[in-house]
Amino acid sequence: MHRIGFLFLAVWLALSCGASWAASGPLEITLVPDASNPPSPRMGDRLKFLSVIRNTGGRAAEGVVAWISLVQVDPGREQPMDLEDWSAHKAVTEAVVSPGREVTVEWPMRLIQSGNYRVVVSAVERQASNVVTSPFADFHVRRKPTVESNRILPIALGIPGVILALMGWRRYHRS
Amino acid sequence: MNPVWWIARKESGEILVSGRGLAWLFALSLVMSVLSLLLVSNTELSLLDNAQVVYMVMGTITALGALFAVVLGADAVAGERERGSLMPLLLTSVTPSEIVSGKMGGQAAGWTVMYLLGLPYLWAVGSSGQNLLQAIAYLALFGTLTVLGFGFFALGLSARFRSVRTALLTSLIAWMLLASPLLLGPGLRQSAVGKWFDAVNPFSASLNAFDSVVIDSQPFAVQAGRLAVALAWLVLTAWYAMRSVRKLEL
Repeated sequence: MHRIGFLFLAVWLALSCGASWAASGPLEITLVPDASNPPSPRMGDRLKFLSVIRNTGGRAAEGVVAWISLVQVDPGREQPMDLEDWSAHKAVTEAVVSPGREVTVEWPMRLIQSGNYRVVVSAVERQASNVVTSPFADFHVRRKPTVESNRILPIALGIPGVILALMGWRRYHRS
Repeated sequence: MNPVWWIARKESGEILVSGRGLAWLFALSLVMSVLSLLLVSNTELSLLDNAQVVYMVMGTITALGALFAVVLGADAVAGERERGSLMPLLLTSVTPSEIVSGKMGGQAAGWTVMYLLGLPYLWAVGSSGQNLLQAIAYLALFGTLTVLGFGFFALGLSARFRSVRTALLTSLIAWMLLASPLLLGPGLRQSAVGKWFDAVNPFSASLNAFDSVVIDSQPFAVQAGRLAVALAWLVLTAWYAMRSVRKLEL
């Protein structure tokens, strides 16, 4: 029984040490939506997120790369999104972030598809072996009908109809 | 009246006023209508899919415009010959250059009508999406160069061949070959042959420009190479048409 207790203690210590080692990296990231974002965005709107990458450690962070990730979280449609079409600003690099210094990054984004999304910013530096992530920022994109039947039907039926009427009018006048 | 203007006006009149011209326009509008109605079934397209739809409609308008131009071009000289009206035309003081310029004017009028016919469809599918104004402008620019090139090429063939049937068949084969990227899509054109074909094909240049502008929102500077290909196509085919009509034999 004591052996099992020691085993659990050893595992707990190993895990807690690992966690504290991962958390003790010099970088910290915050992520918040910009105050100018629309309160209830819909497809086609633009959002902006602000993140601050801060060096809270005692040594300089070198070769810092930070990037933004987007995940759809609708039940049954959970998937990472390809940001190719959502944002042209997908990553930033910083050669050195000195202790106590912070870097503010803006992440603009154009909303391409409706649904519930979660955005997160991650960063790595050359010397650390762990990735640092920001808290999540969640948002919902309202649907916007992009191909509307009430626009297409009058055109699709009207234009051939007008040409047909022209043909009929021409025939009538000739006869 | 300037003979070029007179011939162009006669050709344009045949498109806009004659029963045959109106029947062609009716058929072309029917194709556009069916395509648009098929798109109504899917109203939950993402913004990007909507751009894809606009791109498809632009490609279809260009292809139909080129088809219309090919039919008009194949009939331009060989048709006159078959109807027996070519000799009286050549016996007048009108020079071959003026004849071909007038016929080209008719082609331009045909494409203008086709373009104007396509605009409401473009608006209907794309007004709530992205880059609609760019789509309209680029269709005017690239569509004009590509479509008129097809028309001038068919006109040249029409002057060289003695029958409308042969000129039309040859022109349609060329149209099918060059417009094939509309069916193949960019993914299937990634082989060495596909890339080479894309680099020299004016239809590919237009489609790639439409894709780049409407879907990827890229600026005009990116389209310079594609514009050069489309422009070269127009200049070469215009030269071919002029040369073919000058060598015209009864």
